[in-house]
Amino acid sequence: MSALLDKKEGAEHLLMGNEAIARGALEAGVKVAAGYPGTPSSEIIESLAGVAKDANIYVEWSVNEKLAMEVAAAASFAELRSLCVMKQNGVNVASDFLLHLAGSGTRGGMVLVPCDDPGALSSINEGESRFFARTVEIPLLEPGDFQEAKDMTKWAFELSEELKQLIMLRSVTRLSHASGNVRFGTLPTGEAKARFRCDGFILDPDEGIVISAPVDYKHGQQHEKLKRAKEIFEDSPFNTYEGPEKPELLIITSSACTLYSREAISILGLKERVGLLKLGTTWPLPPKLLTRYLSLAEKILIVEEVLPFLEENVKVIAAETASEIGIKKFYGKNDGTIPMVGELNPDYVINAITKILEIEYLPRPEEYAAKTQGLAFFGAPQRELIFCPGCPHRASFWSIHNALELDGRKGFVCGDIGCYTMALLPTGFTTLKTVHAMGSGSGLASGFGKLGQFGLDQPVLAVCGDSTFFHTAIPALINARHHKSDFTLVVLDNSGTAMTGFQPHPGLEVNAMGDNVPDLDIAEICRSMGARVEIRDPFELEETRATLNNLMEDNEGLKVLILRQICGLSPEKKAGKKYEMAINEEICLGENCGCNRVCTRIFRCPGLVWDKEKQVTRLDEVICTGCGVCADICPAGAITRKEAV
Amino acid sequence: MKIFGPNELLEAVINKNLCIGCGACIHLCPYFRSYKGKTAMLFPCTLEEGRCFAYCPKIEVDLDELSQQYFGRSYEGGPLGNYLSIHTAQAGPKVKKASFQAGGTVSALMSFALAKGYIDAAVLTDKEGILPVPRVITDADEVLTCSSSKYSASPTLSALNQAMTDEYTKIGVVATPCQVLSVAQMRMNPLEKEDFVDSVALVVGLFCTWAIDFRTFAPFISERVDITTITKVDIPPPPSEIMEVYMGEEKIEIPLNEIRELVPETCSYCIDMTSEFSDISVGVLEGRPDMNTLIIRTDRGQKIVNEAVQEGYLVIEDIPEENLEHLMWAAGNKKKRAFAKAKEEGMINAEEDKKSYLRLQPKTVKEITG
Repeated sequence: MSALLDKKEGAEHLLMGNEAIARGALEAGVKVAAGYPGTPSSEIIESLAGVAKDANIYVEWSVNEKLAMEVAAAASFAELRSLCVMKQNGVNVASDFLLHLAGSGTRGGMVLVPCDDPGALSSINEGESRFFARTVEIPLLEPGDFQEAKDMTKWAFELSEELKQLIMLRSVTRLSHASGNVRFGTLPTGEAKARFRCDGFILDPDEGIVISAPVDYKHGQQHEKLKRAKEIFEDSPFNTYEGPEKPELLIITSSACTLYSREAISILGLKERVGLLKLGTTWPLPPKLLTRYLSLAEKILIVEEVLPFLEENVKVIAAETASEIGIKKFYGKNDGTIPMVGELNPDYVINAITKILEIEYLPRPEEYAAKTQGLAFFGAPQRELIFCPGCPHRASFWSIHNALELDGRKGFVCGDIGCYTMALLPTGFTTLKTVHAMGSGSGLASGFGKLGQFGLDQPVLAVCGDSTFFHTAIPALINARHHKSDFTLVVLDNSGTAMTGFQPHPGLEVNAMGDNVPDLDIAEICRSMGARVEIRDPFELEETRATLNNLMEDNEGLKVLILRQICGLSPEKKAGKKYEMAINEEICLGENCGCNRVCTRIFRCPGLVWDKEKQVTRLDEVICTGCGVCADICPAGAITRKEAV
Repeated sequence: MKIFGPNELLEAVINKNLCIGCGACIHLCPYFRSYKGKTAMLFPCTLEEGRCFAYCPKIEVDLDELSQQYFGRSYEGGPLGNYLSIHTAQAGPKVKKASFQAGGTVSALMSFALAKGYIDAAVLTDKEGILPVPRVITDADEVLTCSSSKYSASPTLSALNQAMTDEYTKIGVVATPCQVLSVAQMRMNPLEKEDFVDSVALVVGLFCTWAIDFRTFAPFISERVDITTITKVDIPPPPSEIMEVYMGEEKIEIPLNEIRELVPETCSYCIDMTSEFSDISVGVLEGRPDMNTLIIRTDRGQKIVNEAVQEGYLVIEDIPEENLEHLMWAAGNKKKRAFAKAKEEGMINAEEDKKSYLRLQPKTVKEITG
């Protein structure tokens, strides 16, 4: 039995922030949870899926974030508690429904958990979900540690039911993926009955129809809910102050920045001079609470990641209460004290405090800093982002790259979101030329494919993964087919949402909870649209390349090449090697004319290692997955494969 | 011979559209490949010296060095290069009738050389539709499958490189003048490899005034006929000024003026009409669609022709004076025009730090361009 279902009240467990959120939802009696995989959010749904059977809840990986929010909202409308989870930019995908859901209101407690990725550690954006809370006018909570992650999640459901409104609870990478001790509360017992009441008076929030119209009425109600939230937030235990009664400097912060700020104050030994106001309820801000603490100090530093959300909101209150609290000197993002981009850490906060209070502080002796920098530059091996050993994407992009070069018409590939996004880099032979949102590769290709009229004579290609195909590529393909756009989509089908940890998708026979479910065939879907569809194994390099050249030369409309090869790290594949590989060092041409290290200089599977001493390629048998592809790369026949027994 | 690497080849030839796609750099390494008439560099290679550059007939061709090697004298710039004798020729009674063009002399020579063991592999050019496809043939009877003329540039030398990799030791190759120039460079062992063996036993050069770029030819033809139904393409000898495209019994004629529009720019720099560095050169004979012109250049070429005649594979006669004069006039014109153009663009005997298309004695350049 998972620790998440530990019934013992007061039990303490070391939990990842995402697990703490899942536990909070379980303590709140969540019945339905839906999400789309995306770092750093994925473990919330995975944790819940893992206990779904025992907890008698329904958990799904929806095809995209909008669907996830709709699935969760349906449960709320049926008076169940529901959770939907996504990474920061997933909220953009869901945002149209989000706007209308905020307008219609909810019934059973419903919580939206976006996990933001400041510094874009696992993203190609630093999108902010907090602004959505302000834009669509729903309350926003931000836990500041692991215990709060659990406790605030549980409370968010109660708040949602009190306000009949969706609550956003925002996490960030350092909260979601770090771990800390969490003290458990009780798990609810008892069953919940789903029922959708929709026959009452149309404006009745519990029995009427669920809609954001009439807009002036519903929008007015929404503001009443926000007003009520403000009142509740004034007394929230999740807003705390620590520090002297009259601090020289007041830091206002939230989320993981609470930890950075606390650490900075501690390192600098300034507990007697600097106050820390940590806010858990960050939209709408409770004005009385803010007024009270703003009055304490003349200098206010706002510490938060990415955009100045808190800063702007605090400044509005300060302006409105200026006659009461006096003129303040604000430090934060707008004056450059805190950087506007990237992830923060205690050093940023230390720098800000020492600058404001004019304190001399050197985090490291200069000599030490110079020494480490020198060592890092000369001594540390270069570690660039690279596909794993035996990754089918390496083989796929080898063929895509070669097909484009042979074609010679300066064709290009619109990329998409997945491990294969790395094909922007040398590991994928710098094949991708655009990467935006999920499904945007196909959407852009649909547009490029109509530019022949204006002289665009370059072949247009797009790639997407199997999960991305279901997420948002399908509408782009329908658009392309209907408008007779000319392009070739390569579906890199590795049988799972590999980048985020093999979550299932509609192309597979299993769902999040391990149930057997119908699988949808990508090829059949594409054929039903009228696309020309080919299916190949990307490990068959020459066949794949030739097929792609052939498709690119077919100027008639939408073409789809499905490259099927299961991810090298997938649980099914990890077990065994298809081939035993060997390298004959006598035959290896090394750096000579005729090869010049094509395997270790260009193909660069980590399973192949250049032996500088011997000037030959060696095999790293430990990490080689036995895919066999390098035997076809080697021009001298030095790399050989034989069927593994 | 000045030798650089693939990056210089890319910069000086491929990126300047001077590549004719002869195939000399193909199948040597994983980087250069040919696809539908075009040579592409798939990935960057960092070598400072490579066979790709050394073999390329479009850059740093030292005509004096080549001429010294094969004919024992500097390059003199005569219209037909060095030769022993010139004849008219056609396939003899020992050769099975096939759909070869003109006199079938090339097919006859290669069949003979294979049958008699002068060569163990023949590098020829077959076709798929109208796309020329290089082949390595080892059976004398199979030579005839490659018998017809191809007018698009073909990467035939890729098959020569392949045959060498496959360790054939007596290879015969049928090639256009640019390819013959490249073969001459290959046989010099330009990278001075210790284990080098000259495995080219016979070079049969073709006459060529230009080739067509397949990438423009295919859509051009597609506008006129269904490309999949084409059975044969022919350009009859002068004075006819047409290309004939056959679809079985049916035929359309395209004026050569239209075809010349499809000739890549690089052919206008070519100084050689008759494959001057071959053992034997073969071309059309003006006014005689059923015969060829045959130029014997080397002793080993002479020996094979003599025996082919004795054994009934080949019938040769003296070439009429009028035909010879016209051949010299045509070849001389091509050479003069190309030299003038290349000279004007600074591509001949360029300064030491620059890459030059050709290198030869300056006085010879003067003599040719007048």
